[in-house]
Amino acid sequence: MTAVLENLNVEAPTRAAVELSEVGKVFGRGGDAVTALTGVDLRVAPGEFVVLLGASGCGKTTLLNLIAGLDQPSTGRVDVAVNRPAVMFQEPALLPWLSASRNVELPLRLSGMGRGPRRSRAGELLDLVRLSGQAGKRPHELSGGMRQRVALARALAATTNDSGGAGGLLLMDEPFAALDAITRDFLQLELQRIWKATNTAVLFVTHDVREAVRLGQRVVLLSSRPGTVVREWTLDGDTDRATLTDEITDRLRQVISTHARA
Amino acid sequence: MPEPEVASESGTVTKERNNHNVTSAVTSAVSSAGNDAAVGAGLDALDTPTAQQRLSWRRFAAGALPPLVALVVALVIWQGLWAAAITTEYKLPSPASVWHEFIKVILTGEIWGILWTSLHRAVLGFAASVVIATPLGLLVAKVRVVRAAIGSLLAGLQSLPSVAWVPAAVLWFGLTDSTIYFVVLMGAIPSIANGLVSGIDQIPPILPRVGHVMGAGRLDSARLILLPAALPGYIAGCKQGWAFSWRSLMAAEIIAISPQLGKGLGAYLKEGSDYNSMPEVIAAIFLILIVGIGIELLAFRPVERSVLRSRGLSTGRDRNDHGSGGITRRAGRLRADSESPIASFLKPKS
Repeated sequence: MTAVLENLNVEAPTRAAVELSEVGKVFGRGGDAVTALTGVDLRVAPGEFVVLLGASGCGKTTLLNLIAGLDQPSTGRVDVAVNRPAVMFQEPALLPWLSASRNVELPLRLSGMGRGPRRSRAGELLDLVRLSGQAGKRPHELSGGMRQRVALARALAATTNDSGGAGGLLLMDEPFAALDAITRDFLQLELQRIWKATNTAVLFVTHDVREAVRLGQRVVLLSSRPGTVVREWTLDGDTDRATLTDEITDRLRQVISTHARA
Repeated sequence: MPEPEVASESGTVTKERNNHNVTSAVTSAVSSAGNDAAVGAGLDALDTPTAQQRLSWRRFAAGALPPLVALVVALVIWQGLWAAAITTEYKLPSPASVWHEFIKVILTGEIWGILWTSLHRAVLGFAASVVIATPLGLLVAKVRVVRAAIGSLLAGLQSLPSVAWVPAAVLWFGLTDSTIYFVVLMGAIPSIANGLVSGIDQIPPILPRVGHVMGAGRLDSARLILLPAALPGYIAGCKQGWAFSWRSLMAAEIIAISPQLGKGLGAYLKEGSDYNSMPEVIAAIFLILIVGIGIELLAFRPVERSVLRSRGLSTGRDRNDHGSGGITRRAGRLRADSESPIASFLKPKS
């Protein structure tokens, strides 16, 4: 049923998509210093879907920023196998003056790909997220869910373009939190389908236990202030997800209540 | 207990039906294999903001009729006041005599020379202002020291009437074209630069961040993200800059009069005043107004509209359109309502 820790059913490859060892991050210095992360060890295998779960202040976003290269760790080492992990935010953050397909083309354009190949690549990716009919539309002509799918296609364009052959890495920072329940539900299914189709490693941040259990092959629970790995669960086809949801929720509640005493 | 994972993409949904034996027709329709696509297509169809085009003649009637009516009313009041002879004829001429003056300058062909003199100065002055103000605005927006040094000065210059520069310019450059261009530049540059600065300041911080994550360097980021994102503010600044340069030009032309400067609209107005010809003065004022508004309507309005439209932003007049309301309406929709009955329909449990 539920395996705890170190039960990677993925073959140990030569190099992980992401490897964090003893990573810590302190903001500010002296008396005002805030420790956001401490002693975080995390390994994401190529093609693996890992969910980071935690309450507010667990440093989820800091962690993603470190992996995305937007910030440097104070201690420890961040090793990312792909040159440029793609990031998806809570907002689609599409460029409003570009059509859906131009938005998807943007990372390819930045990496110097010619017009023809990048147009056909954008077409493939929009097809993958089932938006091939909307390629010419501008973001404001699309619904929230469709915009987020364009953002997903753009992220895939950014990360699967990498020529290193290491496979992509998709960092998702609560990407569905701003969507309505029906759309979120549909996008969770879509993400699963697309992840299987592209074989990209995904590091997905959420504070929704059900979302975590539904999507992840592995769920990593972080404590708050400072953030560190409390426990992780590996899920497979036999996992009773309803029971696991309750178990993880209980553990999360414990973690949160420790802050009441502190 | 859990069933083996079904390989199809809708496997989780299928499992839900088997596990819980939900008999609802809707649920089983949703659960049947391959229907994710249909659900997605349905959601897309329901959620896509719809744009509604109003009939064009109605649009025209709603847009053009009220100002026309206002114009006619103003003319009627003017004619009435003149007919009542509340003051002498040379202070308040009849609409007809102004119209005759108008026809006269057109028939003698004098008007083309006057318009050309003023318009080419305004256009050249405005173009030069854009060339100078754009890098200036970029510097103020992106370089902290420059902003601290001249940012508030630039904003303050906007409220300095550019006519205040005329005496100084006459002393520096004499009665030459340089005087006129100097005044026009001093009027237009602060507006355009400030427009660009506020355009850049209003860029949502997530956009440059996205560019950074995708590996855009400084140059690419400016070219592909910052400048296009700042475009609406920049265009608004240019529009205001045009109005300021036109105003400044008129002020300069009225004050700086000399034969070698030629006769523009300002000089034409001053001439009417010097000859005590009220019809000429009023005709000149109308011409100045018509040119100023005409350039804004023909040049700036269409550009601004198409830029705003393409981003789903609207100008004041379109605000009631269905399509543009879609974004704000959607924002508050059904957020975090994870327990909704329809959502649990779609939600697989294993």
